[in-house]
Amino acid sequence: MANTSGNAYALTCLSPIRKGCIEDGSGVGTGTAYSDDVRHRLQTWGLLEHSPMAKVPQTYLCRYFVLDDVYYQSLSGPDFFSTMYDILSFFSDRFREMALPREDHLKSKYLVFSCNLHGDVDAYLRGMWHAIEEDIRRIWGYCYGFEQVRDADSFAAYVRKCQLKASLFFVGSNDDPLPEQLKALYLKQEFSRFAVEHQGLPATELQQAYRAFMQRVQPLNLAGPSWQPGQSTP
Amino acid sequence: MTKQLDLPDIQGNVVRAYGRFNFPFARYVFFNIRDGRRGRAFVGAVTEQVTTAQRWGLGPDEIPKPPSTVNVAFTYPGMKALELPRASLVGFPMEFIMGMKKRKDILGDDLQSAPERWDPVWRDSREHDRHKDVHMWISINGQSKADVEQRYEWLQQLVAHSAGGVAILSGHRGDDGAEHLPFQDLHVVFENGKPTPKEHFGYTDGIGDPVFEGLPGNPERVTGRGKQMKDGSWAPLATGEFLLGHRDEADEYPIAPSPQLLSRNGTFMVYRKLHENVGTFNAFLDRASRNYPGGKELLAAKFVGRWRDNGAPLVSAPDAASKAAWDEKFAQADRRERDRMLSGFTYDNDMQGAKCPFSAHLRRINPRAALEFTPDAFNTPGALTNRRRLIRRGLPYGEVKDPTRDDGNHGIVIMMLNASILRQFEFVQQQWINYGNDFKAANDKEIILGNHNDQYPSKAVIQSDPDGDGAPYFLANIPRMVETRGGDYFFIPSMTALRMIAKGIVDPT
Amino acid sequence: MDVSLVEDGEEARFSGMQIALSLGACCYKEILSHCNKGRSMSNIAGKAYAMNVITPVRGYMTWINKLIFWVALKKPSTLKGLITLSLIHYARWVIIGRKQFPHLAEDQPKEDLHYAYMLFFSNFNGSWAQYVDSFTFAIPAGLDLFWKWNIRYPKSVPLTSFHSYIQFNQIQTDHYYNAYPMASANDVKSAKALKAALIDFDARHGDAPPDEFLKQYNGLLRSLQHDLGTMQPLPIVSLAAQARGD
Repeated sequence: MANTSGNAYALTCLSPIRKGCIEDGSGVGTGTAYSDDVRHRLQTWGLLEHSPMAKVPQTYLCRYFVLDDVYYQSLSGPDFFSTMYDILSFFSDRFREMALPREDHLKSKYLVFSCNLHGDVDAYLRGMWHAIEEDIRRIWGYCYGFEQVRDADSFAAYVRKCQLKASLFFVGSNDDPLPEQLKALYLKQEFSRFAVEHQGLPATELQQAYRAFMQRVQPLNLAGPSWQPGQSTP
Repeated sequence: MTKQLDLPDIQGNVVRAYGRFNFPFARYVFFNIRDGRRGRAFVGAVTEQVTTAQRWGLGPDEIPKPPSTVNVAFTYPGMKALELPRASLVGFPMEFIMGMKKRKDILGDDLQSAPERWDPVWRDSREHDRHKDVHMWISINGQSKADVEQRYEWLQQLVAHSAGGVAILSGHRGDDGAEHLPFQDLHVVFENGKPTPKEHFGYTDGIGDPVFEGLPGNPERVTGRGKQMKDGSWAPLATGEFLLGHRDEADEYPIAPSPQLLSRNGTFMVYRKLHENVGTFNAFLDRASRNYPGGKELLAAKFVGRWRDNGAPLVSAPDAASKAAWDEKFAQADRRERDRMLSGFTYDNDMQGAKCPFSAHLRRINPRAALEFTPDAFNTPGALTNRRRLIRRGLPYGEVKDPTRDDGNHGIVIMMLNASILRQFEFVQQQWINYGNDFKAANDKEIILGNHNDQYPSKAVIQSDPDGDGAPYFLANIPRMVETRGGDYFFIPSMTALRMIAKGIVDPT
Repeated sequence: MDVSLVEDGEEARFSGMQIALSLGACCYKEILSHCNKGRSMSNIAGKAYAMNVITPVRGYMTWINKLIFWVALKKPSTLKGLITLSLIHYARWVIIGRKQFPHLAEDQPKEDLHYAYMLFFSNFNGSWAQYVDSFTFAIPAGLDLFWKWNIRYPKSVPLTSFHSYIQFNQIQTDHYYNAYPMASANDVKSAKALKAALIDFDARHGDAPPDEFLKQYNGLLRSLQHDLGTMQPLPIVSLAAQARGD
């Protein structure tokens, strides 16, 4: 299943955004397009530990962007059939033109949500709804089909309809549950500091200090001291 | 295929570290160009005496070794002042146009290294008064002090002759609190009246130097200085890593301004005056080595990757016993063998850092193949290093009168030559000196050059032998041992370009 | 770029450019607008950079691409290179067939495209240029394998055209979240190893007599000597944030 790698899951969701504008209230001039408003809302979300996604359990790294359109490939580059077209162009200029890239346009803008998460994706999406329902509505509110989303289950179903399958998902770090990763990072930081600060101590004192350290950091207790999701300062 | 370079077209300081050729004294003079036409005439007059890369000797194609050398380079505002056409000027890379001062955040020149603390000549350059901008650098290297003085007098005459077209900038700090010297004097560190290759922390310097295609000299020098290949051999680096107008390691020509004649055979120079906090260094070494099992000199060696006294690389001489053996062999060796002993090593047998720590100066500025943590993982072992190499030039300045104090006049001026300041110097400074992720060291900085601060105190791990029974040794609260006191980004033109600039005939159309 | 801006000392414009270039990010205009808003760069969250690239592929190539990806994953050399580079947190390729753009409602117009599209999402450490270059130098063949069938893909060597290709097709992220901004992929990996080692050590030797404890503790440190780097905010971005105030 290409979306998974171990217990890590790659969720790629493209939600089409309705065409339309928000009236700016004054009745004068044009309002803001829905897609631009979505972008604006995303750009004003808090960052790092203040991001709404920090409240969504099991989120490793994720991103949002509004896909306006696809690009026309005007840069030069080799093409599989270019030699064949080059030869055929001797006979008709039509072949030279055929070798040029075609121009494509999307008929709708899409809200792209690309998320790297731990565990079962449906559980994740339900958890996301429970954590940040308001933010979800504000971001997805303009999307086709979203009017049918009323609760966690229907949100999960909706996202599944928008989902695309990954052809390749590469995990460079690991697929542990997020609280495990955060705890491990916390321990790495604390233990590094401990090792430096207690260098050269005689055995008995070191062991005592070590015991106090282990009591403080509680390595096996995920609910104990740890890094917070999105934590940006030591 | 051996490549031939146009040696008479390349400035001599690009291929030669004069300090190693018995030029122990130097004076760097900086100019502001007041008038384009007279400035160009001045450049023309200087160019007639510029030292090229031509070989020295008595043979054919060789010229006699001069008593003093002269070389020239320009900042971006300098070339503007010389009235190069705008279409040429915009072709220079962005970081060069901005200059080193504006890049301080990328380089980590903060706190004690911040531009507000630089020597006045640098502090006031590219600020509000255009007459204080550093436009041009002229270097004089001399076999004796008298040779330097003679050349300087010649230079002063040319300045007078320019009738106000150029002006020498003052504002260099020197001995005894002097703040307004009209030049930066440099000289090797002398011990008992004899020149040494040392710098003020006591380390033997100036050993490493990249070897690239076309570089004159003994081809054996490529061992340890070129790029490491899969089969264990060494090959010279592509010329374009260090000279514009030549193919580089990415199989293309480096970004360079138009026309080709302006940039070909030229290069970029990063000039940095680095004050050395000798007192801080000595106190830190004393403190840190008190409990270090290997002792003070070994720990000092661990900071850098070479033993202080003779530059023996730690990977070849990781402890006192092997150092003694190395010294003996070195004493018997001839010049070529000595060179090989000093430079011809790899980290292949030290992938754990037990010999040369991951945060040691040498390993951070040129990791060789050490970033290929899994053997054969990359297209070539030096894949992540080959495009980050730097030619280093320069000399120490000043003298340590009191080794317990920081406030004397002592440091080094280092010039780094590369085809791309952004991709080579700035990358190494930003990612490898002031940061450690590529070395699996998170934020841990390079020990000697890192911009250590109090807000996030620095530490370093001195790795130990994983199969031994010792423990890694930690350096805590590493103080900032080196401070930036000035500098900028320069363009070193070829001889052709110099002549064209002087004649005002650079034309990119 | 207007050269005269340099002389007029328009610091604000330049700090944006400076950040952009140190990070090699794609669009000057967008970076500028971010700086003017007083926000940090939206492609960056702590030590991670979010790259989004969308490129057309010939419709009938999509199944070949899927095959290639499958092969690439099986091919140890590509994987070895990727893993050794260790710059990536998570990365994925998604191929959208010509008719596979999600269609959620009757009144949503159906897409009518000549090409299928490949979406590439990466979360990596280091600067944009470092990331792109490290692939070109470390695993050029692997890189070509993934991108080969894209329209007008220029090959990964020489470099400048490859840089242009990626930049040209890159899309700015509007919101990027990273659960551990102070941790690179290396840090996350080493943290896991350290946690396991510490817990194991505690179970086996935590209560040993002091001398034995010390001996084992030193052994623990030896085994973890590459996992003890101190984590802090990424210096480049944090310093750049201060620069904007100049």
